[in-house]
Amino acid sequence: MLEIKDLHVRYGKIEAVRGVSLDVTPGKVTLVLGANGAGKSSTLKAAAGLEPPVRGSVRLDGDDITRLAPHKVVRRGVVLVPEGRRVFSPLTVAENLRLGGYTAPKQAYDETLARVHEMFPILADRANGAAGLLSGGEQQMLAFGRALMSQPRVMLMDEPSMGLAPVVVDSILAKVREMADSGIGILMVEQNADAGLDVADHVVAIARGEVVFSGVAGDARSHASVLRAFLGEAALAGQ
Amino acid sequence: MMDFYDSNLVLIQATCTGLILALSIQVPLRMGVFSFAGAGSYGIGAYLAAILVIEQEVSAFVAIGAAMLATAVIGLLLGLLIFKLNGLYLAMATVAFDLIIGVITINGGETTGGSTGLYGVITDFTMGQMFALTVIVLALVALSEVGRTGRRVDAVRDDPELALSMGISLRRYRLTAFVVSGALGGLAGAMNVLVRSAIGPLDIGFGLIVLGLTMIIVGGSRSWKGAVIGAIIFTWLPDILTAIGEWQELVYGIIVALAAVFLPRGIYGVLVDLNKWLRRRRRERRDPPPAVAAEQAGDIDPKPGDVREFALNEETVP
Repeated sequence: MLEIKDLHVRYGKIEAVRGVSLDVTPGKVTLVLGANGAGKSSTLKAAAGLEPPVRGSVRLDGDDITRLAPHKVVRRGVVLVPEGRRVFSPLTVAENLRLGGYTAPKQAYDETLARVHEMFPILADRANGAAGLLSGGEQQMLAFGRALMSQPRVMLMDEPSMGLAPVVVDSILAKVREMADSGIGILMVEQNADAGLDVADHVVAIARGEVVFSGVAGDARSHASVLRAFLGEAALAGQ
Repeated sequence: MMDFYDSNLVLIQATCTGLILALSIQVPLRMGVFSFAGAGSYGIGAYLAAILVIEQEVSAFVAIGAAMLATAVIGLLLGLLIFKLNGLYLAMATVAFDLIIGVITINGGETTGGSTGLYGVITDFTMGQMFALTVIVLALVALSEVGRTGRRVDAVRDDPELALSMGISLRRYRLTAFVVSGALGGLAGAMNVLVRSAIGPLDIGFGLIVLGLTMIIVGGSRSWKGAVIGAIIFTWLPDILTAIGEWQELVYGIIVALAAVFLPRGIYGVLVDLNKWLRRRRRERRDPPPAVAAEQAGDIDPKPGDVREFALNEETVP
C-alpha cells in the first residue's frame, strides 16, 4: 500500500539516504534496522513529507505523495509517530488525543476514541492529567493513541522503544503488533533489533543510506550474525 | 467618578491603544511567531487613517476599516516573505520592517508631513466606539485561547514539527499570525491618531516595540489578561512616577528589570499561582488529602514517586 522507491535524501552536501526502496503492507510490520546515522529516520521523515527527497518516490495505493505537504500526507492516512515520545506536555491526555483527531471526520470521533481507550486503558484513566506527568511508557502509548486518532492506514514509527525500561519495551512493541493486526500498515525504525524482530514481519537493514538486507523477519534472525557484523562495521565506519 | 474619567481621559485612551498594540505582539508570540511587525503596522495604520481623514474627509469607521484592511494585507505579504525564518532571525526581520516604516514616514514629503508629521486629524470618533472596538478585540482574542483553536495554537507553538505530523498546517497558522498582528497593529495606530488628532515619526519609533513587549512580559505573555494588566500598568505608571521627578526613568527601568527576573510568567502568572494555592489550601482544610489523613492515623506511607495528586492540581501553563 505504501511504496518507497529509490529514495534519496540530502542535507546540504551530505546524502543521508541513497536509493532506499521498501514496501509497507496492511496488517504487517516492516522493521528498519541500522546504525546511528544510517538514514533510518531520514527515510521516515521523507515518507511523512517532512524532509522532501531529492530523488525517488513515495506512493500510497499508486498515488504519488512524494512532494505533498506534511499536513496533507496525514489527511491521506499516513501518520508519523516521531522519535522520543513527543507529546504536548502542558496539555492533558484528552487534549492530546483530540489534537490527534484534527484531520479525522467528526462523526467517527467518539468511536475512534473508544477504540483507542480500549487499546490503551491508561489513556482513559489519566484523561485529565497533564501529558508531561505520564511515565515514559505511558507517554509512548499516548503518542500511539494520538496517531491512531487520525484513523491512519499507515503508521511511521521512529524508535518507539527509545529510552524505555526493558520490561516496558516488550509491552510497547506488543502494542505495535496489536495495531498492525487491526489492519494498519506499520513502518518502524528500531535500534533494539532483538525486540523489534519479535514483532516484525519484514525487515529492511540500512547502512550508510543504502539497503543491505531485505527479507522476512525469520530469515533476518538466522542472518543475525551477518546483521550484527554489518551493524558493527557501519558503526565503526561512522566514527 | 466622572471627574476621574474627565481628568484621565488621555490615559484611558492610551490604555486602549496600548492594549491592542500589546496584543498585536502577543498573539503572534503565542503562536510561536517571534514577530514585532505589529509596531510597524501601528505606524501604517496611524498614517493611513490620518491621510484618509485629512485628504478624503472619510468617517472614523472608514478610516479604521481601511487602516486594518491595509495592515492585514501588508501583514500577509510580509508573512509570505519571511514566515520560514525562525526565532531571532524572524524578530530581526520584523524590527527591520518597523524601522523601514519609520524611514518612509520621515521621507514621505507632504503626504506624511516629514519629521513634523500630520496634524488636524479631526473626526466624530467617540470614546464609546473606542471601548466597543477594544472589547470586541479582547473577546475575539480570548476566544482564540480556548477550545479547539487554543489547543492548536498551543500545539503549533510548543512543537511545530509534531503539530505538522498531526495534520496541522503550520504555514496557515503562521500566516494567520502575521495577518492578525497586522490588523491589530493597524487598529491600535488608527484609533490612536483619531483620538490624538496628530501623528509624527517619533510616535511610531522603536519605543513602540519596547512598550508593547514590556506590557506583555510584565503582564503575562500567554493570556489576554496579561496584556490587559501590562497595558494598565505601563500606561499609568509613568504618570504616577512623574511625582518623583527626575528619578522616574530609573524607577521605571528597575520595576521592569525586577519583573523580568522574578516574574517569568508575568503578573498574570503570579495571580494564577496564588489562586491555585488558595483553592488547594481551602480544600485541604475542608477534607485533608489521604496522605495527611493516613499520617494522622499513624499509618505513614508517603509514596515519593506518586505525582498523581500533583498532576490534578497543576495548571497547564508552561
